[in-house]
Amino acid sequence: MTLGAIAEKDFQDAVRSRGMIALVALFSVLVSVFAYVFSPPGEQFATEFLLSVAVGPFLVTTLVPLVGVVVGYNAVSGERESGSLKLLLSLPHSRADVVFGKVVGRGGALALAVFAGFLLPAAVLLALSQLGYIQAFNVGSYLGYTVFAAVLGVVFVAIAVGFSAAAETQRQALIGGVAIYVLFVLLWGAVTGQFLGAASGLIDPLPVSQRQISVFLQVANPTTGVELLSNAFLGNQLLSGEGVNQQISAISMLVFWTIAPPLVGLWKFDTDDL
Amino acid sequence: MTAIELRGVRKEFGDVTAVSDLDLTVQEGEVYGFLGPNGAGKSTTIDMLLDLVRPTAGTVRVLGRDATGDGVAIRQRTGVLPDGFSVYNRLSGRKHVEFAVRSKEADDDPDALLERVGLLDDADRKAGGYSKGMRQRLALAMALVGDPDLLVLDEPSSGLDPAGAKEMREIVQTEADRGATVFFSSHILEQVDAVCDRVGILRNGELVAEDSVEGLREAVGGEETLEIAVGGADGGIGAAVEAVRAVEGVSRVDRDGDALVVSCADGAKTRVIAALEDAGVAVDDFHTREASLEDLFLAYTEGDAAEGDTAKGNATKADAAESDGTTPDAADADEEVAE
Repeated sequence: MTLGAIAEKDFQDAVRSRGMIALVALFSVLVSVFAYVFSPPGEQFATEFLLSVAVGPFLVTTLVPLVGVVVGYNAVSGERESGSLKLLLSLPHSRADVVFGKVVGRGGALALAVFAGFLLPAAVLLALSQLGYIQAFNVGSYLGYTVFAAVLGVVFVAIAVGFSAAAETQRQALIGGVAIYVLFVLLWGAVTGQFLGAASGLIDPLPVSQRQISVFLQVANPTTGVELLSNAFLGNQLLSGEGVNQQISAISMLVFWTIAPPLVGLWKFDTDDL
Repeated sequence: MTAIELRGVRKEFGDVTAVSDLDLTVQEGEVYGFLGPNGAGKSTTIDMLLDLVRPTAGTVRVLGRDATGDGVAIRQRTGVLPDGFSVYNRLSGRKHVEFAVRSKEADDDPDALLERVGLLDDADRKAGGYSKGMRQRLALAMALVGDPDLLVLDEPSSGLDPAGAKEMREIVQTEADRGATVFFSSHILEQVDAVCDRVGILRNGELVAEDSVEGLREAVGGEETLEIAVGGADGGIGAAVEAVRAVEGVSRVDRDGDALVVSCADGAKTRVIAALEDAGVAVDDFHTREASLEDLFLAYTEGDAAEGDTAKGNATKADAAESDGTTPDAADADEEVAE
């Protein structure tokens, strides 16, 4: 197993890219802007409100998946096209090591970007709250939320790396990554709403309710799944209360999306001539 | 034990056959030069040794293991300098070597390896800024990690200047002296002669010859090359070429400035000189040289020397055609002269 070596190499490579710095800066700026707009100085600072109403929908569930796709889509196909994959596979790595090493390395790099981007403004907010300029900045909620954001990013990296491993060209990988983003982030509500509407005749005779299917669709999408989990966390309901079954389903689906796409990609990659 | 063993290996990409029915054996400790023009199937063969490409038919065994099933174990004991690779632009040279050391679970000192390939001074630079030759050296350093039992070098001298190519040969020799098997490909023969125990020549996906360099010389042999300096023959050199070409036993005549380069059978030398004198061309100087590796290579990769009986048939036909001087070959030859 040389997965660790590949993950470390890929992480080092990714964190040296200019895009990484840009990403940290972008996250920091956006979080700061949201913090300023939604909690003007002098008023009660509502950490949970800021996160679930502003940072969540506008930054985490839209931008973070996009960044995940961008970070992941060229992981394997890019190396294949440039020729560095030859250098990589002339060392004793299996193709499985390559695919999963990439998921770990790039997922780690993205998580680092999310943490750095969120924690820089957090440090400022904490300082302001210590100095008494803002009241009641909830560090625990903020840090916990950052973990959910990072998890969502890693899931999309994994999906994109799966496409990247299966694709024979960069183009194919990019198309796959964009398609998954469009489906999960932009169209999910519309598509699944239509599906539910159109399928109501089919669903009625089944021993499941419309509501159950709608919940399933919610947890099946990593974006809405993370939303569900993070809102439960911010409402102190994580893994407790009524929604615990849904939350467990959502967690299972996140695990599924992290493992299954790279596996399917590997299955194709493993049989390809390089 | 055999280091590399290919049996009946065939590789098709769609409807293109890159390698067909290739049998090839390299013994442990041998230095084997794998030659052929670009597109002959060398890289495809090497890719099959490394499990980058899977054979359509046949078996590939490396270091006693099946290349398709046991690739990781093979590459654990193999150092590879791939062809057409690229480096990780943002990582330094040292990081590359460290990565190879870690990947092979070896304990080499990266700096010692970088020093050996002459890259230590640039070790901290990002590899993206390296020249082609430096990248080649970097990949060689990575290939040397862990004292591999087998070195597979695909066009190792490409991008290297003559001094670099010489250092490359010295490193290959050192590795061979240590006991490593070396398998390398090249389309340039001069690099092979000094270091190879054996060479194989690949053409259109088939092995057309396999022997020591001396053995190949003899096989093509019976030929020698004359270099004849002809003076003051501005207008007459064309006539001189024609005169020499008509001589029995001459297989090829090229013009090289004021000199003629004549390939002919042993013993035809005096007839060539006599023919020139008869044609009124002054011979300033002439000497014989051994068939160059270049000639040898061309004989196998362009000509028909290696194809046994059929080749003989063709050669006879060509000889006959040239001697009556009325065939398309004559037109070809004129072009050569015009160059």
